[in-house]
Amino acid sequence: MQQDIAQQPEAKSVPVLVNNGQDGPNNGTSGVGGSRRLTEEEFDRYSRQMIVPGVGKDGQLRLINSRILIIGAGGLGCPAAQYVAGAGVGTIGIVDGDVVEVSNLHRQVGHVASRIGMKKVDSLITHLRGLNTLPTYVPYGFHIGPQNAAEIISQYDLVMDCTDNPATRYLISDICVLLCKPLVSAASVQKSGQLIVLNCPPTPQGRVDGKYAPCYRCCFKKPPPPSSMLSCGEAGIVGPVVGMMGVAQAGEAIKILVSALHIPSRDFSIPLERNLAQPTLLIYTYELENAVGPYSFRALKMAGRKKNCFACGENSTLTLEGIQSGTPNYEQFCSLPSPTFTLPPDERITASAYHEARSRGEIPNHLLLDTREKEHFSFGSIDGAVNIPFGRLLAKAAAIKREGGAASELLPGEVLGVTEDTPVFVVCRRGLDSQEAVEKLKELGVNNGGKRRIVDIVGGMKAWKDDVDPTFPWV
Amino acid sequence: MTSRPPNGHFTILYFASAGSFTTKNVEALPAPLPLSKLFATLEERYQGIKENVLDNSLVTVNLSYVDMPGGEDGETSDEEIVIQEGDEVAIIPPVSSG
Repeated sequence: MQQDIAQQPEAKSVPVLVNNGQDGPNNGTSGVGGSRRLTEEEFDRYSRQMIVPGVGKDGQLRLINSRILIIGAGGLGCPAAQYVAGAGVGTIGIVDGDVVEVSNLHRQVGHVASRIGMKKVDSLITHLRGLNTLPTYVPYGFHIGPQNAAEIISQYDLVMDCTDNPATRYLISDICVLLCKPLVSAASVQKSGQLIVLNCPPTPQGRVDGKYAPCYRCCFKKPPPPSSMLSCGEAGIVGPVVGMMGVAQAGEAIKILVSALHIPSRDFSIPLERNLAQPTLLIYTYELENAVGPYSFRALKMAGRKKNCFACGENSTLTLEGIQSGTPNYEQFCSLPSPTFTLPPDERITASAYHEARSRGEIPNHLLLDTREKEHFSFGSIDGAVNIPFGRLLAKAAAIKREGGAASELLPGEVLGVTEDTPVFVVCRRGLDSQEAVEKLKELGVNNGGKRRIVDIVGGMKAWKDDVDPTFPWV
Repeated sequence: MTSRPPNGHFTILYFASAGSFTTKNVEALPAPLPLSKLFATLEERYQGIKENVLDNSLVTVNLSYVDMPGGEDGETSDEEIVIQEGDEVAIIPPVSSG
């Protein structure tokens, strides 16, 4: 099975196809259909979708002659690839540098337990081949970055962003603008998902004389501070939520190819007709708290291309050459401005020093606050720890600031032997929230003008697991 | 997900990290409120929300995207949008994972 995959073209040696985005799809035939007869296998395999009004033989041939690039072979990429392959898209490229892990399997439906440790691209292609042998599958078993993005993307008609970090999302969108490729972008974390079709129909960079489709930067101009960005590994993810977004993403991609909306308009004197009626952001929210509540899909009307957009707007200076040589710097763009806390050393203690101090009885009476979410806390905690999730602590602190009230209300009420100067230790998951919590408690005067020590446990429960208790169930 | 807000209020929905920050998905705030005062009103209730969430989020009113007045966009329209009683406002931060 692996050998079979190895015979696919080596990703690193793919020919460079220069496409400045002004001349329509790359070789003039890709994705536009054609009028050949369908083979018997194609006819049997695709009949159920071909008879749907609007698809037909022409639509099916457009799918067969099209090339889709799926970036990310995870929770979005797996279901997306599955439906794109099933529909018969002729060439499917898949980019991902990761390997399959057991924690992926609850949502990444293209992988199975027997392929843990295999490259995700190879695992997913194995799955897709089992589904449909007709498409050509092209594995790119490495991460996409400023160096290789244009070379890879230039060879496809449509891109699906199934990635998991902001820097890559901005990079992919920028390249799609410059190469005139439509981008179907989805994202999902914890209990919510988003889907939006960008740059479709594709319009050359800088055109602002009409209403054109937005790019990712038109919608989200700057990335959120990394501290507020949650990853699936950190915040968790419900399988069906991300699955739903991936499936919807495949649906949009198929729709675009069948209707030939991915082909850049050559004649801008007839501007509006071919544009999608209205750029729309689909939001899905899944409420675990109200198990029988209403389903929450919202379709939000988005604005079009922004005149002054950094990537696609009229004075944009973004170029492929610039991106390749490091301008803009995506990593830096997405890691600013991070509030880096460094409390003075006397307000911090390492996990092992805290453990030793406890064992030696040096801190008999103290309060240990654990600011992780209650789900994390439920797997295990240090003896005596009291759980106050960070979000709740901040909300309480803001309420006290706004409406007045005793700062001591921030602390748990009924812990025996706690007095005004009982020291407080704060621990979180990795050691960032706890520092902010210490700051917040001091700011509100919980330290009683310095009489009470408030101390951060460096590195959080991660450090506790690494340095004190390796059996601790840390997620 | 939401029912009608009480009289004299609009509904505000907090998606993704906006929900984590405010620890709620939805609430009712007093209307009318000029759109230009929205972020300041929220910052007063949830200290730090502007920098951590709002500045990077998109905002919709009654399911349609709105440009925030006073942004650096320079594309704001002349007429000031005022959030009215019964409106539904949504704060939508970007989500990146997948």
